[in-house]
Amino acid sequence: MSKILGIDLGTSISKMASIVNGEPKCLETREGSVLMPSVVAVSKTGERIVGILAERQAITNPKNTIHSVKRFIGRRHSDPEVQKELKLLSYETRERSDGEVEVKMGDKWYTPIEISAMILQKLKLDAEEKLGEKIKDAVITCPANFDDSQRKATKAAGEIAGFNVLRVINEPTAAALSYGLTKKADQQIVVYDFGGGTFDVSILNTTPETVEVLATGGEAHLGGRDFDQRIINWLVEQFKKDNGLDLSRDSLALQRLKEGAEKAKIELSSALDTEVNLPFITSDASGPKHLLYKLSRADFDKLTADLVEKSIARVEKTLAEKKMAKKDIEEIVLVGGTTMVPSVREAVKKFFNKEPNKSINPEEVVAIGAAIEAEILRAKTEGRAPEGDIKSVLLLDVLPLSLGIETLGGINTVMIQKNTTIPTVKTQIFSTAADSQPAVEVVVLQGERSMAKDNRTIGKFVLDGIPPAPRGLPQIEVSFDVDANGIVTVTAKDKATNKTQSVRIEGSVGLSKEEIEKMKKEAELHADEDRNKQALIEAKNTADSLVYTTEKTLKEAGDKVSADTKRQVEEQIEALKKVKEGDNTDEIKSKTTELQEAIQKIGAELYKQAPEKKGPEEGEYKEK
Amino acid sequence: MDTQEIQKKLENAEKQAQEYLAGWQRARADFLNYKKEEMERIGEFLKYANEEFILKLLPILDNFTEAEKSIPEEKKDNYLKGIAQIKKQFEDFLKAQGVEEIKTAGEKFDLNFMEAVEKEEEERKGYKMNGRLLRPAKVRVTK
Repeated sequence: MSKILGIDLGTSISKMASIVNGEPKCLETREGSVLMPSVVAVSKTGERIVGILAERQAITNPKNTIHSVKRFIGRRHSDPEVQKELKLLSYETRERSDGEVEVKMGDKWYTPIEISAMILQKLKLDAEEKLGEKIKDAVITCPANFDDSQRKATKAAGEIAGFNVLRVINEPTAAALSYGLTKKADQQIVVYDFGGGTFDVSILNTTPETVEVLATGGEAHLGGRDFDQRIINWLVEQFKKDNGLDLSRDSLALQRLKEGAEKAKIELSSALDTEVNLPFITSDASGPKHLLYKLSRADFDKLTADLVEKSIARVEKTLAEKKMAKKDIEEIVLVGGTTMVPSVREAVKKFFNKEPNKSINPEEVVAIGAAIEAEILRAKTEGRAPEGDIKSVLLLDVLPLSLGIETLGGINTVMIQKNTTIPTVKTQIFSTAADSQPAVEVVVLQGERSMAKDNRTIGKFVLDGIPPAPRGLPQIEVSFDVDANGIVTVTAKDKATNKTQSVRIEGSVGLSKEEIEKMKKEAELHADEDRNKQALIEAKNTADSLVYTTEKTLKEAGDKVSADTKRQVEEQIEALKKVKEGDNTDEIKSKTTELQEAIQKIGAELYKQAPEKKGPEEGEYKEK
Repeated sequence: MDTQEIQKKLENAEKQAQEYLAGWQRARADFLNYKKEEMERIGEFLKYANEEFILKLLPILDNFTEAEKSIPEEKKDNYLKGIAQIKKQFEDFLKAQGVEEIKTAGEKFDLNFMEAVEKEEEERKGYKMNGRLLRPAKVRVTK
């Protein structure tokens, strides 16, 4: 069974994905990146190059380097929009006899379909090399607003590249599919796709069987590159102010600024400020000049605020066209590298007052969705599994918040970590906290905080009838089982009597995204404080059980321990008991260590007094 | 077979199909969770994997620092300023890798992170990487 490719054929970047070891995954090109520029060129030596290599030589060979060809695929040369686009190109174009566009590369003329086929062929060859097998079938994505002729052209490009194109699906549909959003009946989804050079918004209506595009909108020239340009402009301005030199007229300096700006933009996605450090950027009569500026995220946001605003205005307009309100939208999906900019995410969240789906890499999400669609189609035609089943296996959910139980001292002991893929099961043995404890109460918690009381209690029950035993001896097996629908079953079993008690909790995973985000944020906010509290309680628990065992040992040892040692240990027990009441973790820990050392002395004395006893005991053991 | 029998067989088959599907889902979820754990383990490993490589870069930084110290104030022109900026770039790179300088001046002697030397010339900056010792600081201890 050969693999199928899911391909996101983009205006500026293309990606491919396949199901590898049962999981959808983006594949790297031969050059080692999952992102391949949709660029084709003929070099000066007449060699055809595609992807990153073609992009690298673009500056030196602009006339023979074809980019953004997706803007013309399946469209007529006379189309006013096409006319507008044609003016922005560095390569030659003309109208074909059938009215479509042709581009010149080297000394030959090509259709956009042929150029797209070259991009697809490169992806095909690289995938075959990576996976070590021939690839025949593919699912290719296209923008939701592509008309019939554009879709047919996309399909034709795939066929020229040697693919059997199973289907051409909409990019937003693929993105929604990656998140498994097509499982619920009748919901409205907004896909916000902010790429390198274009911005698209789509409103979808999904049911488990169908995805309908209700409306689309977009900006043909708005993307990550504009964000980079804003940083470049700012750097040029600052430098001019400080040095009186205009870097924008120095192509070498501009190239370094471009790289520096992009790096800064990416860094500001995770850091609050960054530095653009470009020594020897240029020189004048007084010698070399160096560029070093700090750029904070707040400054960057200010520089790009209108770009973000423009995208949001477009979303608003698209909703209005369909006479829909923000509140009608149940899910938002982020697509495209620019959605990694924090201010963009924030703006979308603020506009809809809802947390968008962003856990899958927004640059890969469309290709991954295409790979999933491909696998579903394949499984269906091969009769391997019905569409519904393959979907329910490929699109498993993850647990949004950790699940745990309350243990001694009010600590939240996590049983299943957040982000665990469900269905899953986890079992752990617990014990009693007091001598002859007849029952244990199992309190099921949901959340990330260390202390039980700060989390949500989603269920509780009591397991009783535990036979009298010293603390710590009974073995209570607690198991958490979360099924594929998020229904949690918690069971507690006393291993001695096999007595079992359980609780079934439905809809616990069904918290709204806002509630989940709020709980996660609180956990982050209180992380240090919680850790300290937990450490204190754990130290107290250790001290407590040490006091208990020491007292027990002393009692059992009776007069086998010298009065001196006994008094000394008793004093230490008292000291530990006293600090244990306080809140000083370090003090409790140090007194615990002291008592541990002291108790070893008792052990040593006991052994000294009964050396002859050691032998037979060992013998007994061996006979068994 | 009568209808009842067929009915029963169908029910059994449906039940079995459900069980198999659930088993399939669980097997896949287990695999994904295992992979996540492995990724975490590898991530932890990678955090320190560059240690040796970075340790070998430190002498270059030492020499940069020495060179900077030895240049007289009046010789510090625009060319040298640019070189100093490259040194800063180097330092920022190390910082981004989780490398931080061990503070020594005025601190208590801590043998976990410091090594005592006798002469001032023997002093050398020490570094931690992601909280773990990369190279101890050589310091002169004053009582």
